[in-house]
Amino acid sequence: MEFLIISTLNGVIYGLLLFMVSAGLTLIFGMMGILNFAHASFYMLGAYLAYALSPIIGFWGGILVAPLLVGLFGMLTERYLLRRVHAHGHAHELLLTFGLALIIAEVVKLFFGDFPVAYQIPDDLRFAAFSVFGTDYPFYRVFIGTVAVAMFVVLWLLLSRTRVGIVVRAAERLPEIAEALGHNIPVVFMCVFGAGAALAGLAGAVAGAFYPTNPNMAAELGVIVFVVVVVGGLGSLKGSLLASLLIGLFSSFAVGIDLSLANLLGLIGLGDWARSVGGLLTTEVSSISGTIPFALMLLVLLVRPAGLMGERN
Amino acid sequence: MSVKAKLILGTAVLLGLIIMPPFLDAGWQNALNTMLIASLFALSFNLLAGQAGLLSFGHAAYFGIGAFAALHLMQAIEDGLPIATPLLPLAGALAGLIAGVCAGWFATMRSGVYFALVTLAIAELFHSFAPHLKNLFGGESGISGMRMPWAGFNFGTVLEVYYLTLAWVIVCTALLWAYTRTPFGRLTLALRDNEQRVLFMGYDAHIAKTVIFAVSAMFSGVAGALQAMSNETANYALFASHVSAQVVLYTYVGGATLFFGPVFGAVAFTLFAFLVSDLTRSWLFYQGLIFVLVMLYAPNGIGGAIAYHVRHWRELNWSRLAQPYGIALIGGMLVTAGVVFVTETVSILFGLEYENLRGNAEGGFPEFALLGGTWSPTSPITWALPASLLIGGIWLIRKAIKQINDTQDDNRELDDSVTDKEGVQA
Repeated sequence: MEFLIISTLNGVIYGLLLFMVSAGLTLIFGMMGILNFAHASFYMLGAYLAYALSPIIGFWGGILVAPLLVGLFGMLTERYLLRRVHAHGHAHELLLTFGLALIIAEVVKLFFGDFPVAYQIPDDLRFAAFSVFGTDYPFYRVFIGTVAVAMFVVLWLLLSRTRVGIVVRAAERLPEIAEALGHNIPVVFMCVFGAGAALAGLAGAVAGAFYPTNPNMAAELGVIVFVVVVVGGLGSLKGSLLASLLIGLFSSFAVGIDLSLANLLGLIGLGDWARSVGGLLTTEVSSISGTIPFALMLLVLLVRPAGLMGERN
Repeated sequence: MSVKAKLILGTAVLLGLIIMPPFLDAGWQNALNTMLIASLFALSFNLLAGQAGLLSFGHAAYFGIGAFAALHLMQAIEDGLPIATPLLPLAGALAGLIAGVCAGWFATMRSGVYFALVTLAIAELFHSFAPHLKNLFGGESGISGMRMPWAGFNFGTVLEVYYLTLAWVIVCTALLWAYTRTPFGRLTLALRDNEQRVLFMGYDAHIAKTVIFAVSAMFSGVAGALQAMSNETANYALFASHVSAQVVLYTYVGGATLFFGPVFGAVAFTLFAFLVSDLTRSWLFYQGLIFVLVMLYAPNGIGGAIAYHVRHWRELNWSRLAQPYGIALIGGMLVTAGVVFVTETVSILFGLEYENLRGNAEGGFPEFALLGGTWSPTSPITWALPASLLIGGIWLIRKAIKQINDTQDDNRELDDSVTDKEGVQA
């Protein structure tokens, strides 16, 4: 029971963090058809900028300013880099963001070194939100979750209830018509790209203080975020939320499960045979928890490429 | 370029590769070996990415599988299996082919971004799974073997391994070249340019793409096997995403639209790594920067840009182009100098050593040594120099580009014919 509740809590929080990063990615893909390889790098930039700014303007200042800077960087990226290669097709845009991700990782190493930095939450935030089964549950985890939920609500309201949202959705569906109606679509694209980057930056600034901040964080999270947007359906915000929670819960539970195929086969009397074969059959779920998201992504891509909530292929 | 010129160039390169190495030291021999392997890997990747238009982000998987297969065969030979050591890459080829057929069948069910994601997922699957499969991939430490002597060669020196690699790379390159000359090679290009028409002509696009994928994976497997053969060891890090990333870099910087473009990229980057990685810690940064700049300004790669000039050598108005090209070259050198200066300064000022120096200087900003001089971080010259290099260089390049465009406006006919060709290739 304890394992169940703690794992659920951790899983939901981690899932919400994944959602914060993947929301921007899925929004950008839905709109511009660009799979942004550098998106997780924006997340990393957010964490590092907040780390660099926090001694100057304080922890909260860092969390507020870092996403804005990352958003600005995203807008510049769209305006001066992506738009330039747009004429050469999506493959080139993909390759460009891919190169950008390499550069950002190296720049971060250049300034902050090839090791984790001490980006920590301030001491007055280190208290327990509540306690379950005698262990204190840290307030900051709850805070990460709250930020993500708030972000989802704001984003959803913005897209579905405001004029800005209508223009953005119009630009996503039929850019030519929206442009003919007098909306400046290139600027909309630039802003959406910037907003997506800022969201990733916010996630980085908030989560970097809790999870380790190192130059590999982009590469590690990057693939998982791809899994999330693919499983949820490229371009679907709700799908992303669902998939994030799914993957979050999954990874938090898988770590604690010591079952293997041999145990399963044991139920039908083949346990000894499986153990004698070894290899894949005796690999425990916990040790391959990193593998399963990719298997899931592969399955979704092959069976239902539109994802759980996506509308189109 | 005429056929004769191509033949002469090819023969010269080949002779150089055969004659030169004994006169080089072991470090260079090793570097040449790496270059050859990278070239083959990039060529096999380009069969899929450039010729068939299927951008894979997970080619490390087939490279790695080839390496592990070769090592298993190597161990078997050690235990007395009567197979000649030079045939080791065949194991890589076979393993790559089988993996390629299986993975390709699934991956080519999708196209575009989805194809890229499937290949990415497959490679990540291998990367995260391999450490847990002790028998196959040797866990985290990997597996290793020993090259057994064969027919008087004991493959103990770098040079012997180099010649073995060279032989395999020449054979594989010739095969890949021959492939492009077959009807199926033409079909590969057709699939890239217009899949729908290929379907209408009655071909099964899915099976064709699977075959292309498998052939590409097979040659990647050979490249992996060659690497395993020269290192005598391999571990799951071969499946890592940066291996897949490297081959993408090689191919697109060299030029995916040309057969030998990827070789150009692979040679340039491995040479760059060999020469520069000792000098600076930021060489990966420069590599990324070069890639992005090529993507922005020479979408067909450096090889593509060179090929364009060679192809239009006679039509181009060199008397008018020579000056702006010279200006652009000078500008490029100034910008390079500026970027290198800034990057290295940052690398020093934010490094751990400098932090210690500052500690000794009680928080001040002591001088640092760079490019044979000493510079003070507080002196305006230290920052004005790179700034003027960058600004001056960019100004020169812009000026040159404007002149070149003016020249091209006069040659509009030529320009149109070029864009037509590029349109077909894209």
